Amino acid sequence: MSDRHRTDGGETRTDVLTESHEAELDRGPFQRWVDDSIKNPQKVYRAMFYVAAIFFLVTTLFPFYWLLMVALTPEGQLQDIIFTPNGFNPGAFVEVFQTIPFHWYVFNSFVIATASTIVVLIIGSLAGYAFGRLEFPGKVPLLLLVLVISFFPPAAFFIPLNDLFNTSFFFLEPITGDGTLYNTPGAMVLPLSAIFMPLAIFILTTFYSQIPEGLEDAARVEGTTRLGALFRVIIPLSAPGVATAGVLTFIAVYNEFFFSFLMTDGQPESWAPLLEGIIAYQGQYEVLYHLMAAASIIGVIPVAILVIVAQEKIVSGLTAGALKE
Amino acid sequence: MARVQLENVTKRYDDVTAVEDVSMEIEDGEFVTFVGPSGCGKSTTMETVAGLTKPTEGRVYIGDDDVTTLAPKDRGVAMVFQNIALFPHMDVYDNISFGLRLRTFSDDEIRKRVEQAAEIVQLEGMLDRMPDEMSGGQRQRVAIARAIVRNPDVFLMDEPLANLDAKLRVHMRTELQRLHRELETTIIYVTHDQAEAMTMSDRIAILDGGELQQIAPPLTCYNEPTNRFVAGFIGSPSMNFLEGELIEGGLRTENFDVELDPGAVPGVGVGDDVTLGVRPEDVHLAEHADSLADHTAHIEARTDVLEPMGDEVFVYLLLAEEVQGSMEEDPASSPNQLLMSVTPDTEIHEDQAVDVVLDRSKVHLFETATGDALVHGLTDRSDQESGPTATEAE
Repeated sequence: MSDRHRTDGGETRTDVLTESHEAELDRGPFQRWVDDSIKNPQKVYRAMFYVAAIFFLVTTLFPFYWLLMVALTPEGQLQDIIFTPNGFNPGAFVEVFQTIPFHWYVFNSFVIATASTIVVLIIGSLAGYAFGRLEFPGKVPLLLLVLVISFFPPAAFFIPLNDLFNTSFFFLEPITGDGTLYNTPGAMVLPLSAIFMPLAIFILTTFYSQIPEGLEDAARVEGTTRLGALFRVIIPLSAPGVATAGVLTFIAVYNEFFFSFLMTDGQPESWAPLLEGIIAYQGQYEVLYHLMAAASIIGVIPVAILVIVAQEKIVSGLTAGALKE
Repeated sequence: MARVQLENVTKRYDDVTAVEDVSMEIEDGEFVTFVGPSGCGKSTTMETVAGLTKPTEGRVYIGDDDVTTLAPKDRGVAMVFQNIALFPHMDVYDNISFGLRLRTFSDDEIRKRVEQAAEIVQLEGMLDRMPDEMSGGQRQRVAIARAIVRNPDVFLMDEPLANLDAKLRVHMRTELQRLHRELETTIIYVTHDQAEAMTMSDRIAILDGGELQQIAPPLTCYNEPTNRFVAGFIGSPSMNFLEGELIEGGLRTENFDVELDPGAVPGVGVGDDVTLGVRPEDVHLAEHADSLADHTAHIEARTDVLEPMGDEVFVYLLLAEEVQGSMEEDPASSPNQLLMSVTPDTEIHEDQAVDVVLDRSKVHLFETATGDALVHGLTDRSDQESGPTATEAE
C-alpha cells in the first residue's frame, strides 16, 4: 500500500489528511471499544471467557468460602456472617473428631463409594462392550430399557429394597451374622450401583464403540479372547471414558443422601456413611453448625483428591489416545 | 507351517451372501492371493480362516485339524491388517511381544524372539518407539514383525499395503516376497490390486460376488482365464470384449468377422452368442502382421485417443465410422471400440485411419450368456481346419 502511495507524493498527503480527519471525529470510549472489538474479536472472546469463568467460580466456590467462615466461627456466634467469621476458632476441625468418630464415617463412605464404582465399572464395561461393539437382536430395545430404568425415581425402589434387605437369608449368615443386608455396605452398594449404572453404561458404550474394530481383531488373532481384548486393548484405550464414568459414579455415590440415610441405623459401626456423621452433630437441644460445616469441608477432601488425580489421567488419556484410522 | 483347506464355505448375513460355496486347498508354504473387486467376499473368506468370522456353512481346516469353530487364538494364524492395527498404547516392543506375553514364554525367550523378528523386518533400535512416532512403512513393518514373531502356521494379510504410498508399496511388495522365501510359511494375501496379486503369488484366487472364479498360477489366470470376469479383471488395461454371433465359418461381431470353425468350439454351435476377447497387446497394426504366425483379416478402424505410457502407447480405436468415443461406455466392452497397445516408436496419430489385425493365437472366446471361456487361442484349430472352412466360405 505505502509503496503505491510513494510513487505519487501528492496523493499520499491527501490520504494522510483524510485519515487524520477521521481520527479526529468525536468518539467516546465505548465507540472506540466497539471499533476495536470488531477489528480484534479475539479480545472479546477472551473477555467473555473471563466473565463466564469468574461467574462459575464465584457461584461454586463462594458457598465453600461461607462454609469455611461458619466452621471458623465459635459456637453460638453465628449471626451476621458475611465475609468474615465472628471470631476465629480453627479448633472446630479437631473438635469434629473428638465429638463423634467422624473419620469412621468418612472411611465408611469411602469404602461404599469405591465398591460401588468398581461394581459399576466392571458390569458397565461388559454391558458397554456388548452395546458398543456387538450386533445382537434386541440391542436397541435393551439399551432403551436401561435408559428407562435410569429415569425411575430411586425412592420408588426403597420400600421393596428395605424389605428385602431386612429379610434374613441363610447364605448371608456367615458374612453378616444375622443374614440380612441391613447395616452392611451391601445395603448401599447394591442399590446405588444399580442406580448409577445406566449413566456409566452410556458413557462406556460410546467410548468402546469408537475403538477401531481392527485393534480388537488383532488382539484376538494374537491370542486373547474377546474379554481379554476388552481388558488389554479396549479399556486402556478408553481410559478417559473409564475415568469419567468412574469419577462420576464415585462422586454420586459419595454424595448420595436417600439410601445412605435409610439403609443403616446411623451408627458408624453399622457402616453409616459420611452424611450420617454430619447429621450426628444435630442434637435434641442444640445444633453444632460450626462442627457440621467443618465436617462438610473435611468430607469434601477425598473427592477433591480423587478429581485431581483422575483429571490428570483424563488429560493424559486424551493426549496419548492417538487413535487414527 | 500348514496346509489350509476350505470346504464349501458359505457366509450369509441377514439378506446378503458374502461368500458362496467356496472350496479350495492351499498347499503348505504356498503364497496364495485372494483378489477381486470391493465386496467380492475376499476379506470375509480370509476372516473365516482367521476365525474372526464363523462360516454359516462349510468347514475350514488348517493342517489336519478342523478349526471351523475354534477361536482365532487357537488356530496358529497371524494376521496383518489393512489399517495396520498396532496397539497405540504400547511401544513397538510391547506390540511385537503382545502375542508371546499371552502365552507361556520366558522373558528371555520373548526378548530373543522379538529381537529376531525386528531384525528380519529391519526395525532394530526402534523397539522403544510408540506407533504414532513412526512412519507408515515402519508401522507396517512392526505389524509384520508382530505376526512373524509367533512362528504362525499360516500368515494372513488383509490388504497390508493399501494404506501406503505407491513407491513404498512397490518396495514392501518385494520385501514381502523376500520374507516369504525366508520363512517358507503358508501366506494368504488379500488385495484388490491385481498387480500385487500377479507379482507376488504362487497362485491367485479370483473372487466375484462371493464365488470363487478361478484359482491358478498368475500366468494361467492371465493366459487362460476361466471366464469373462477373470479375463477382464486380470490385466491392466482390461481385455477387449466384442460380442458376436457364431455363423458358418466364423464369428460375426458388429464391425468385423473372424474366421473360425464353429464346430471346433466346444459347447456352442452356429447361431449362438459368443464374445470375443483380446488383450490390447494382441491387437497389432496391419503392417506388422507379418511378424505374427497367424492373424485375422484386416479390420478397418480409426484412432481416437492416444495414451502414451512411456514404455508403450495405448491407442483407442473406433471400429465404426459414425461412432464417437463415449464416456458412458466402458471401452473394454463396447462393441465399437478396441484398445490397442503399440510400442512408443510407432508412427501413429489421433484420428487416423488404420488397419489392425488380431493375433489369432491370443484370441479368447467366451459364451456370452454364461461368460464361461470356450477357447483360448484360435491357431491350432484354424491350422487344422482353415482349408475346408475357407473353401466352404468361398
